[in-house]
Amino acid sequence: MGTKENCRNELRTAIRHLSDRCLYSASKWAAEQLVGIEQDPSKFTPSHTRFQRGSSSIRRRFRTNEMNIASTPTAGVSYVSTPTLLEEEDNDAAADSDFYLMAKSYFDCREYRRAAHVLRDQTGKKAVFLRCYALYLAGEKRKEEEMIELEGPLGKSDAVNRELVSLERELSSLRKNGSIDPFGLYLYGLVLKEKGSENLARSVLMESVNSYPWNWSAWSELQSLCTTIETLNDLNLNNHWMKDFFLASAYQELRMHNESLAKYENLQGTFSFSNYIQAQIAKAQYSLREFEQVEVIFEELLRNDPYRVEDMDMYSNVLYAKECFSALSYLAHRVFSTDKYRPESCCIIGNYYSLKGQHEKSVMYFRRALKLNKNYLSAWTLMGHEYVEMKNTPAAVDAYRRAVDINPCDYRAWYGLGQAYEMMGMPFYALHYFKKSVFLQPNDSRLWIAMAQCYETEQLHMLEEAIKCYSRAANCNDREAIALHQLAKLHNELGRLKEAAFYYKKDLERMEVEEREGPNMVEALLFLATYCKAQKKFEEAEVYCTRLLDYTGPEKETAKSLLRGMRIAQSGFPSMDVEHFPL
Amino acid sequence: MAGIFKQAGGFTMTPHKVSVCILMQIYAPPAAQTSVPFLFSSVSQHNRLGLFLLALTKSCEDILEPKLDELITQLREIGSVLNRWLSDHLTSRLSSLSSPDDLFNFFTDLRGILGGPDSSVVDDDQTILDPNSNLGMFVRRCLLAFSLLSFEGVCHLLTNLGIYCEEALSSSRRYESLQFDDSSNDREGLLEYENMDLENFVYEKVTEEIEERKRANERIPFHNHSPKALTGLVEDFEVSAGTKLKHRYKPEEVSQFGHSPSHALKGVDPSTGVFLRTNLQIQGYLLEQAGEIEKNGSSFPLNAFESILKQIQKLAPELHRVHFLRYLNSLYHDDYPAALENLHRYFDYSAGTEGFDFVPPSSSGCNSFGRYEIALLCLGMMHFHFGHPRQALEVLTEAVQVSQQHSDDTCLAYTLSAICNLLSEVGISGSSRILGSSYSSGTHVGTSLSLQQQLLVLLRRSLKRAESIKLKRLVASNHVAMAKFDLTHVQMPLLSFGPKASVKLRTCPITVCKELRLSSYLISEFSSENSTMIIDGAFSTAWLKNFQKSTSSSVFSQDNGSGSKSDAFDFCAQPSSIPGSVLQLLGSSYLVRATAWEIYGSAPLAQINALVYATCFTDTSSSADAALAYTKLVQHLAVFKGYQEAFAAFKIAEEMFLSVSKSRILILKLQLLHERALHRGHLKLAHQLCDELGVLASSVTGVDMELKTEASLRHARTLLAAKQFSQAVAVAHSLFCMCHKLNKQVENAMILLLLAEIHKRSGNAVLGIPCALASLSFCQSFNLDLLKASATLTLAELWLSLGSNHAKWASNLIHRSLPMILGHGGLELRARAFIAEAKCYLSDPSFSVFEDSQVVLDPLRQAAEELQHLEYHELAAEAFYLMAVVFDTLGQLEQREEAAASFREHMLALENPQEQEDTLSSML
Repeated sequence: MGTKENCRNELRTAIRHLSDRCLYSASKWAAEQLVGIEQDPSKFTPSHTRFQRGSSSIRRRFRTNEMNIASTPTAGVSYVSTPTLLEEEDNDAAADSDFYLMAKSYFDCREYRRAAHVLRDQTGKKAVFLRCYALYLAGEKRKEEEMIELEGPLGKSDAVNRELVSLERELSSLRKNGSIDPFGLYLYGLVLKEKGSENLARSVLMESVNSYPWNWSAWSELQSLCTTIETLNDLNLNNHWMKDFFLASAYQELRMHNESLAKYENLQGTFSFSNYIQAQIAKAQYSLREFEQVEVIFEELLRNDPYRVEDMDMYSNVLYAKECFSALSYLAHRVFSTDKYRPESCCIIGNYYSLKGQHEKSVMYFRRALKLNKNYLSAWTLMGHEYVEMKNTPAAVDAYRRAVDINPCDYRAWYGLGQAYEMMGMPFYALHYFKKSVFLQPNDSRLWIAMAQCYETEQLHMLEEAIKCYSRAANCNDREAIALHQLAKLHNELGRLKEAAFYYKKDLERMEVEEREGPNMVEALLFLATYCKAQKKFEEAEVYCTRLLDYTGPEKETAKSLLRGMRIAQSGFPSMDVEHFPL
Repeated sequence: MAGIFKQAGGFTMTPHKVSVCILMQIYAPPAAQTSVPFLFSSVSQHNRLGLFLLALTKSCEDILEPKLDELITQLREIGSVLNRWLSDHLTSRLSSLSSPDDLFNFFTDLRGILGGPDSSVVDDDQTILDPNSNLGMFVRRCLLAFSLLSFEGVCHLLTNLGIYCEEALSSSRRYESLQFDDSSNDREGLLEYENMDLENFVYEKVTEEIEERKRANERIPFHNHSPKALTGLVEDFEVSAGTKLKHRYKPEEVSQFGHSPSHALKGVDPSTGVFLRTNLQIQGYLLEQAGEIEKNGSSFPLNAFESILKQIQKLAPELHRVHFLRYLNSLYHDDYPAALENLHRYFDYSAGTEGFDFVPPSSSGCNSFGRYEIALLCLGMMHFHFGHPRQALEVLTEAVQVSQQHSDDTCLAYTLSAICNLLSEVGISGSSRILGSSYSSGTHVGTSLSLQQQLLVLLRRSLKRAESIKLKRLVASNHVAMAKFDLTHVQMPLLSFGPKASVKLRTCPITVCKELRLSSYLISEFSSENSTMIIDGAFSTAWLKNFQKSTSSSVFSQDNGSGSKSDAFDFCAQPSSIPGSVLQLLGSSYLVRATAWEIYGSAPLAQINALVYATCFTDTSSSADAALAYTKLVQHLAVFKGYQEAFAAFKIAEEMFLSVSKSRILILKLQLLHERALHRGHLKLAHQLCDELGVLASSVTGVDMELKTEASLRHARTLLAAKQFSQAVAVAHSLFCMCHKLNKQVENAMILLLLAEIHKRSGNAVLGIPCALASLSFCQSFNLDLLKASATLTLAELWLSLGSNHAKWASNLIHRSLPMILGHGGLELRARAFIAEAKCYLSDPSFSVFEDSQVVLDPLRQAAEELQHLEYHELAAEAFYLMAVVFDTLGQLEQREEAAASFREHMLALENPQEQEDTLSSML
């Protein structure tokens, strides 16, 4: 990792470059990271660091080793130096630069075609880039509009960005001439990706980030093109601290959450106040189902950045899962007043209504979110959940299927499909979907349990397979502890008493650790008592029986009679032992 | 319901419609004073344009519209001097529309060509469109659509118009060369309409006439656009009127569609397209392609069709039927993961309720749910197809439950039949364990019953159910299934307790015939079908096809009837108006009949039925079944006419099914060659062929028990011919054990007979007699008459070999079976019978050659003649030897020498089989 000061300088220059080229989201990202770098407290007055006060004690609870990492920069790796390559560009002829300024102003006012028109005869790299970029955006804007205007029957919608063809022609010839800068390459990659030539797009984007690593937009385009770990490993990237950001986000998309989390925590050493990294960590933790931590992180994020909308849908999911009505409503109100026409806002409101049990309204908001972004994955899935609640299974199936077709790696939607079919009494059919989801997320016990329950249904009654699934579930952190109990029960049912005893014991231990009581406990104790008695392990059996005596109900009587039986059996043994047992 | 964002198909303005409107204006200019607008030289020309416009307006629910240059090409085919003027006018008018205001003005003008509501008062001279005529309606719809457009919409129309014109200019030269190729064809056709009054257009009449015309120039190459476009449109209208699609296509057309789908779907392929493809038309196309895939199986071009489907999907993302087609396509190309994925996707999207052939179930209450039971049914069939009987049964059981739950009787009936089908298949291939473990409550069959009994119960239930809900097709196919069951199963009483009825342990041919006759009633009843839901849906044929697989148990020994004519191969079926699925069912009933008669031993009837199938049903049936019918016919030829004719016929069949169902033709070839090698004594070759057959039986995809049985049977026979008796006995014995385990009684009878034969040849007649007797009893209980005659013959031979004192008894036996053998037996069997008869006489001490030499000589001569046909050297030599002996005794030396010479010839041939490698085997 470069030193903090280096990063800071690089980012400062980069922000200037990026915003000069109207790459605003990249420059926004860079600025966020810049401010996220921890200031040296000795050099700054408290007013400077006030912003960073948010680093509350809560956060430290989860990260204890950050300081160590931050203080030891890794040695012996070559990095790309500070962005200097573009300096000469900035000193174009004064007249050109005037045109550029006007074009940029137009661009800033979202008058893209006008901006492009102003730059029509300019040949400087910067001007060419801005012209092409403006044209691209104009095309995109028109495409979006047309998509609404042209929605035909049978879902036919042939709206395309009409500028793509000419842009591709121009940019590819520029690239052949060698007169293209990294920003041009980024745009070229974007165009290529849209046109579907992914391999070329990948290599072009790689070129771009290798020569100018501070353009986060290029990285994220590149990341969206790496759908498998193989393609990711095939990339030939220069070492730079930006690469770590890239890898972390790529790992996250490839569902390698622990790897990604490690990367982010490492990065946090330098960028310890970066909201972005915090949100990403929250995302990873969310995928690992560590809801408590996610909530803490988001609370802090909101404190530092109260008008944030990005990623807040995830927070709402967490609140939903934890059934925090008021917090969720507060969040919904906040994002609603910040920006009501963001898909995330609609999604959060949908979640709120869903929690309130008003599924029709909830569906309405999810639909609005989808209207704003047709490929908004989680809205499709959540809408599927709503339809399931409303018992409209065909609609649910349809929604889930759309989610799956947008991203075939969305295990939640596969799981939803399976559930929907199981609800319709088609367990065997549902298995196909559960298998899919389990394949994508093999460490999620809930999926295994759902699958096992399918096998267990009366119709299928494939207990061997169910046992296999339950044991997988038991191996991967089964929070609700359904699996152990079911395993024990199934083994018992199949007459494999030894295995059943093993699992009952395990279950019992677990319940003791978690201090849970209930019918499962009684059942386990009863079985173990009987089993040990049959195995002639009387002492153990006695322990279980005496524990059973603490409970009321018929089991208590059974335990009593068991104890009695055992004593009689023992008294029948050779008399020398009898004295040792006080009666 | 399922598609959340589904929209009603709206009538939107497109550049193409603008062109049509421009043409309308030319057809009926608002200011025209004369009866024919100035630029038309005759009424006929005017009418021709009108007809063309009518055709264009028929297809407005577009998926893809033609480009301008294509429209112009079509226009030119109206053919006359003014075509150039027409197209020029069209282009200039189109390109003059350069601002939104031009469009507004254009549509305002368009209003003028419509007559008022009182248009009947207007005098006849003027051409005014009746607002309620087809053309008038179209214009009105266009006007309405335009006035509904928002300003953005108008802008879009304008941009699209620009693109539309531009494309035409850039590619207009391409079509110059094409235009006059086919104008002669359609000119005649169009001339018929010259004097027709278009204003009082009787639509139906035109439909008929166009149909006729279509029949007349059926042979137009497919590439000719114009006439097809017209007829295609009319057809399309028919479909939307509710008639079934499949009837409309002639066999020729179907095959063209089937084998060149890349051409067939011009409309979707923008680079070549001319057709207007409407939504319904696309669905019809998909339906038809589904039939094609099922018919042609794996010979259907996978990738070409896949790319078309992708294109359709791109054009119409909400048309989910495409996924089903992709499923079928991958199914028949044995791509399991893709098939599974597409099947699930289709039903996820459509909930089984898509398509215009969907009829909402009459019983209430299940509308709000999707019809996922159909998904289960399909999935079950898929697993069945891929040879996963266990999963298939699991899924089908689930389908039973779900359809019961949703009270979907139709689906339930189909599912039950599918289960029957599955069980009968599985019963044959012998994994009966599936029933013990998980057979479910859905069908309420106690596990104490045997597999056969379960199957019978199920069959009866499903038949009853189908009858009660009037699914005629299902009833018919259930009858066929029943017939198949009765054919090879002795009916046992289902209950083991209670008063025992007198049990007749025989199969009942009458029941079989009855069932088959009942199934044929379909032909008159199919129109009163109650529910058309699945039946014309794509997959009814899929499972009917499965039906015939088990029919294909062609009885392999050559014990059948009379001759056949090879000209039957050239027969071409008449076009008919019976749906394909009905024809298919009827066809399958004929195939079952053929098989039944084969088993019962009536060669002429078997042959006639196969012939009927080959002549009447090949067009509609799947190629595998057609190949089966031809196989049967060729086998008949081999058995009754010798190899020369059989091979000639085989060559024809091979050409017909060149790529299709290769395996069956290949098997037939091996069978024929093996048979012949055995007869000619070419044992090495016979061994080799036998091994090849064995390899085919256990391919990578799974073991074909049918074929495996046959291969081992042939192996035993080869060993017998090589005089390796103990090995032959061992093979036959293990085969018997296997067949017994799999409950294949017909095969058992044959194996027992073979064992008897082996013992006879090895000189162990005492051992042979019990085998022959056992075989006889099998034959009796399964009514295998011909096999029974053959077993009787073997028995007689066995008795004869025990000594001359049994000759009387043996000859008695032979005479008893002779009627059957002479009536229905093949060449070999008859020859054997003759020889055995002669031997009986000769070894009978009370018989004297001098008294009546012809009694011996006649059969021997006949036998020798027939055996020479078969090139069965060994038996022929024996016949000649006997003849020589008789002649010798009679003292007719010259004839004796002749017979002896023939004997020598055959013996030599038998010893050196390789030397005379002949034209016949090189033919293959």
